[in-house]
Amino acid sequence: MPSDTPSQPPQGAARIAGEADLVARTLAGERAAFGVLVERYAPQARRVARAVLGDADEADDAAQDGFLSALVKLAQYDARRPFGPWLMRIVANAATDRRRRRQVRRVEPLDPGLVGGGPRPDTDAVRSELGEHLRAALAELPPRRRTAVVLFDVEGYSHAEIAEMLAIPEGTVRSEVFHARRRLRALLADWKGA
Amino acid sequence: MTDERVFDHRPDPELGAALRRALDPPRDDHAAFVARVMARYDGALSAAALPTWQVLAAWSRRGIVAAAAAAALAGFLVGRALQAPEDPATLDAALTPVAFINATDPPDASVVFSSLVDQR
Repeated sequence: MPSDTPSQPPQGAARIAGEADLVARTLAGERAAFGVLVERYAPQARRVARAVLGDADEADDAAQDGFLSALVKLAQYDARRPFGPWLMRIVANAATDRRRRRQVRRVEPLDPGLVGGGPRPDTDAVRSELGEHLRAALAELPPRRRTAVVLFDVEGYSHAEIAEMLAIPEGTVRSEVFHARRRLRALLADWKGA
Repeated sequence: MTDERVFDHRPDPELGAALRRALDPPRDDHAAFVARVMARYDGALSAAALPTWQVLAAWSRRGIVAAAAAAALAGFLVGRALQAPEDPATLDAALTPVAFINATDPPDASVVFSSLVDQR
């Protein structure tokens, strides 16, 4: 299992300025500058794509599509705004496109027996098993709901940013996150209570 | 209203951490992924830099081939129709004497009139 984000983006105005500079250098033909952006956002992009698609390999394909699509559209990026939401919108769209093209869902519907029970050995296997259950629970949620909760609770984006990324009203984002959390927190509480 | 129904506007660190672990790629291949994206850097840019007229030209070449094929097919069908034996079952064939078709000069109006009267 990989560690947390290898290169966390700096925060606030410094982040925006730094990323605007990286974008400008990329547009000027500096390949390495784009490499820094990919390095920085790859973990996040892969998780967001996986939240949409479920399958890790397919998510990587979608995340790659997202990065390359962003590269091609880089001149359209507004340098006064944070780069992350702009990129994640493209990644989420790339993943959603893949999901639509997919003829057969690879993620099976949640087996009710998986949630809320079973043995819990006190080892790394517990985390792994919890991860499986969480992925299964995520797969049960409507795609927009699971994407919203991952962007909010995992990636730390604001409701307003998520609303812009998913092209939905901010109130809808709040509602989607609320419902997703209720389902996922119940699963976590069940695990902790056992 | 229970606590659960009160929406918390802050991220949930515990849920976030659990989801992060669940969604992180199964293999620690971050560097490989970055390399994979960067390997397609030039290809993506060159595909995007293709001028519009080149794209249109590619399509027009296909259009010319398709038009030529359609013209050839039409020519073949027309030629076959002209070579086919006369079919008296058609109204035009029944009303038009063969002499009119083969003639090089326009016929006199009285001849046309008399031939139509004869047909009846």
